[in-house]
Amino acid sequence: MALAMGLGLSGCGQKAQVLRIAVAMPLTGDMGTEGQGVRRAVELAVAEINESKKFPFPVEARAFDDRADPKEAVNVANLIISDPQMIAVVGHYNSGCSIPASQVYSRAGLAMVSPASTNPKLTQQQLESSWNGPKSVFRVVPTDDVQGSYAAEFIYRKLKFKRFAVVHDKTPYGQGLAEQFQKRFVEIGGQVLSFDGISVGERDFKALLTRIKSLSPEGLYFGGLYTEAGLLIKQAKELGLKARFFSGDGTKTPTLFDVAGEAADGAYLTITGIPVEYLPTAKGFIQKYQKKFPGMELKPFDHFGYEATNIILETLAKILPPPPQNPLTSVPTLRAALIEKLRKTKYSGLLGLTTFDEKGDTLNKIITMTQARFKDRSFPPLQ
Amino acid sequence: MFIQQLINGLTLGAIYSLIALGYTLVYGILRLINFAHSEVLMLGAFIGLGVLTFFPAAFQAGPLGLTTVFVLSMLGSGVLNMFIEKCAYRPLRHTLSLAPLISAIGISIILQNAVFLWITNQSQTFPEIVVPTNFSIGPATLNSLQLVILFTSLVLMVLLHLFIQKTKTGKAMRACADDLEAAALMGIDSNQIIGITFLVGGALGGAAGVLNGMYYGSIKYNLGFLPGVKAFTAAVLGGIGNIQGAVLGGFILGILEVAAAGYLPNGSEWKDVVAFVILIFVLLIRPTGILGEKIAEKV
Repeated sequence: MALAMGLGLSGCGQKAQVLRIAVAMPLTGDMGTEGQGVRRAVELAVAEINESKKFPFPVEARAFDDRADPKEAVNVANLIISDPQMIAVVGHYNSGCSIPASQVYSRAGLAMVSPASTNPKLTQQQLESSWNGPKSVFRVVPTDDVQGSYAAEFIYRKLKFKRFAVVHDKTPYGQGLAEQFQKRFVEIGGQVLSFDGISVGERDFKALLTRIKSLSPEGLYFGGLYTEAGLLIKQAKELGLKARFFSGDGTKTPTLFDVAGEAADGAYLTITGIPVEYLPTAKGFIQKYQKKFPGMELKPFDHFGYEATNIILETLAKILPPPPQNPLTSVPTLRAALIEKLRKTKYSGLLGLTTFDEKGDTLNKIITMTQARFKDRSFPPLQ
Repeated sequence: MFIQQLINGLTLGAIYSLIALGYTLVYGILRLINFAHSEVLMLGAFIGLGVLTFFPAAFQAGPLGLTTVFVLSMLGSGVLNMFIEKCAYRPLRHTLSLAPLISAIGISIILQNAVFLWITNQSQTFPEIVVPTNFSIGPATLNSLQLVILFTSLVLMVLLHLFIQKTKTGKAMRACADDLEAAALMGIDSNQIIGITFLVGGALGGAAGVLNGMYYGSIKYNLGFLPGVKAFTAAVLGGIGNIQGAVLGGFILGILEVAAAGYLPNGSEWKDVVAFVILIFVLLIRPTGILGEKIAEKV
């Protein structure tokens, strides 16, 4: 309804004196806690810029729930582009949502910075000839080819495991990650004994795990999210499957322990970047976050959301016309200028230096291997 | 591996069978597919979680505690199912046959969203009331949870059989299933019998919900959907309206799924396709299901 009112107002020729940033995340459902975390981080960044009075107008963060569902993501994207005061999008979370939604944003010339989607296709699709709009997609997380390769090399060279079973959840994120892992692992000499897909929402993986057990792999690599990962870990343990469990950033959340219980202890999970609590540059962010949202657990992608918002705001500050002109009179020009300027980003923030390549992928490609610890629900990094 | 897969299949099949019984009981009497049954199952799991949360004493009580959890969830979901019938199906019983079906879908959506919005939209840990210990059978392992699931479902199925075959109410239920109007003419209070049928079906669904939560260790608002669809399929496979058929169908479907995922290359992606292709073949040969009898023409 608020949106309808906004539209109504601008329809009457009165421009609302505000610019908006959309936060498009899963806010309900299984991935809801992760999305809510990013939303809080974006709100924090926006509140800071408003307090600093850097802009002659207020900036507003508006949250949209894509429910981790690609269809819903497109609906949400259409809502977002229809708001004339919208300047950029921080989102989405799942690669499966980001990919279709990014096409909508591009058609509307709206910049999108994803704080979490890691499937390479998200930015690569912009190079295809069928891509008509501007290259408006950016992300501040390294992609799955980086993450999957890193896991493969870590496992082969450091842990010296050679025989692996690979499972994925058939989503663009999960399957993409699993394929990248498999590709690199085989390249460097590892052996992939089986490669299987499971369905999101399915709860019984015992038949598959029994078959995997008969192949006696040293490790199991899973591309997917925490619910299925947790069930796999739990059921593997029940079946007496000895293989160590490995997965990616989609599973690294304390909620994994709610699903898998103690069985999750010792699972190896790669994450993008360095864990926020180990980032010296993130101390200020953590303090401000906890002051603004007391009692809230920091979620794995919050600092990426904060960084993405700050990159957008910083870039926006650079393209605003000099004072006598009202920057809000022509948002479409502003949107186009923002995309162009984002391309040349050199932002030094809590993630270190962020610059984008020609596709919009960050060149800051750090991956960390962490290991789940049940007793304090944490993921300390391995060296 | 074969024995292990058989155990996996039987456990899965036992849960499907319990749920399928709920569909088949209701269909047998009303010729109605109770689409809200999957939500009754989900709520049964949530009631079980509630009982365990508010009466942690159940953990210490051993088998007695376990039984209490089951009885309370079964009672809760049974009464809920009865209530659904009274509110959503009874007023529509004599209307167009599509109306109760739509009403059932509506109830299903309402219940799922009620849990989503008012209780939680996250996965909840289902506490380990039975601590899984593994027993070895040759190369295979059977854990105590699987034993509880197989045992509980078999006990419930036997109880249901005795109830339907040996008690007066059971006889009345069979009479209603044969011909609702004729049964009413013979002095059977058909509304009451239908209510009892929903109570029993819902209770079995609730038990299946608790078993599902115990077995997989976590529950959430949409957990009923997939097993609900599968169990409905199992009921059709066995011959909907037929009680032995529902049990048989449940076990066949469970074992087929496990066999497909366990033995076919890339089987876990194809298992549902395999299971449903076989289902279609069975129905081509026997349109009323494996144990289904010829349904008398009813208009």
